[in-house]
Amino acid sequence: MNQDRTAHENTFDALMEAAVDAIVLIDRNGTIERFSAAAEAMFGYEEGEVLGKNVKMLMPQPHRGRHDGYIRTYRETGRAGIIGHGREETALRKNGETFPILLTVGVFRQPDGRKFVGFIRDLSAARAAESRVRQLEARLANSDRMVALGELTAGIAHEINQPLTAISAYADAARAMMERDRKPSVDEMHFICQRIAEQSMRAAEVVRRMRKLVRGGSLVKGRHEINEIVRNVLLLFEHEVKNTNFTLEFKPATGLPQVYVDDIQIQQVLVNLVRNSLDALNEADCSEGQIVISARKEDSCLKISVADNGPGISEENREHLFDAFFTTRPQGVGLGLSICRRIATAHGGGLKYEPRPGGGSRFTLGLPLESIG
Amino acid sequence: MPTEPLVCIIDDDEAIRESLRLLLYAGDLTSCYFESADAFLEAGEIPPIDCMLLDIRMPGTDGLELFRILQARQLGFPVIFITGHGDIPLAVEAIKQGAYDFLTKPFGEGEIIGKVRAAIEDYRAGQQELAELQELRERVASCTPREREVMDLLARGLPNKGVADALGISPRTVEIHRANLMQKMAADSLPSLVRMVTLLESRSATQGPFGNSG
Repeated sequence: MNQDRTAHENTFDALMEAAVDAIVLIDRNGTIERFSAAAEAMFGYEEGEVLGKNVKMLMPQPHRGRHDGYIRTYRETGRAGIIGHGREETALRKNGETFPILLTVGVFRQPDGRKFVGFIRDLSAARAAESRVRQLEARLANSDRMVALGELTAGIAHEINQPLTAISAYADAARAMMERDRKPSVDEMHFICQRIAEQSMRAAEVVRRMRKLVRGGSLVKGRHEINEIVRNVLLLFEHEVKNTNFTLEFKPATGLPQVYVDDIQIQQVLVNLVRNSLDALNEADCSEGQIVISARKEDSCLKISVADNGPGISEENREHLFDAFFTTRPQGVGLGLSICRRIATAHGGGLKYEPRPGGGSRFTLGLPLESIG
Repeated sequence: MPTEPLVCIIDDDEAIRESLRLLLYAGDLTSCYFESADAFLEAGEIPPIDCMLLDIRMPGTDGLELFRILQARQLGFPVIFITGHGDIPLAVEAIKQGAYDFLTKPFGEGEIIGKVRAAIEDYRAGQQELAELQELRERVASCTPREREVMDLLARGLPNKGVADALGISPRTVEIHRANLMQKMAADSLPSLVRMVTLLESRSATQGPFGNSG
């Protein structure tokens, strides 16, 4: 019997030594009883440093605070979400670094009571790879858009360049004809002038068609909760913001009436505004950048603001802010805000810029509430 | 110049075709035109062209493809490509393949006429030289093998005596050959004969100056 126990213990020690995943044994109070070699490597603690301490020390806030609750619930009800299957959690290394883990917890009985064994796998490397893939995807999507825009502008440039070429060639021919000894007749000059006029109209027509194209199709309006629209926007940026020192916060207001809008277009406006804020914070290298989206009712309007504590917009740039093709960024096309304002106007609303008190930018999208119906 | 030069315009844009024609007309140049490379290829008999203004981007066979076909058919007239701003890499490629020049739309004042005239002059000068070479080769062909040998040695600066020694014939015989070949070559002096031989040598990199003489 004794020998068996020793054999068991030896096997157990070997397991604790050799297991690739970290193994942490705790008692019913959360006190650490064993800490495997892999756990030492993963968390940076020697086993001696953690034995007898509460397992909470391996968790960052806010998980740390919840853990007592989990154990209590399990003790009282026998229910635990985590027992028997894995869950992704965040853990805390000795050096203060947090990292993603896959945690699997098993329960077993010992003479001195019920114990828990946690198997922990470090997901940092897998997450980093995933994150790289996502960033790459986002960049690709962005470059796709740039390529599409580039092709569009190249096409438009060609369409306008053709009549311009003809106009300048006609004019050049007229000039050369008048310099000759045999002067051109009135009819010949009349013919050339007419051609120049025609080609000017052709160029104008291209511009007119292009405008129509950019103005886009008609709105698809419906009743929507503004909070819902904003939450969709937050979702789009969740991953990106996580990897920065910035925060993106939504301060919803309660009791807001529904708005009658094209939700995709309103979303597009907000995405643009948040994107601009993120870019501004990134460019200014803000260490504690904040972007706050807020919604409120004001008179008969619903106002949604996107504010950041970035460098803001210089006074000289403010007046051109909403002009098409105005941009301060080397890679920018300068269409974002002009399209945003057009969308706002198409909804019977508006888009305004004001400096944020205390520094930064604040864009406010106003949507009329009486347009419901 | 023997005949009126003819410029051929190939562009799918009617207004550009017409304005170019007018521009060439103002510069006293006659032109013909086609709305596509395919129309040009299907046209059959075409009078000799002195210069082609060729749009690089066209539906169907594009400018570069047509240029390759022209080269394969050894039609040596200069081709000036008409390009948009985005086509410059294409145009550079065309130059590497032997196009005469390229012009970017819209054209500068007087640019078309200037480039076209230069291209025609170069082409005609080249054509004239070719014709002269052809004539010279025919004259050489009318000489006997012995006369060609004498001509070769004279062109290298040997006196009659030297030529006679080199060929193992009498100076008197050299003199007779010399008189005959000067007449056949239509050379009025020894220096003019040397110039002819030098020209033939410079244009016959792969062959001896007198073709397959020997």
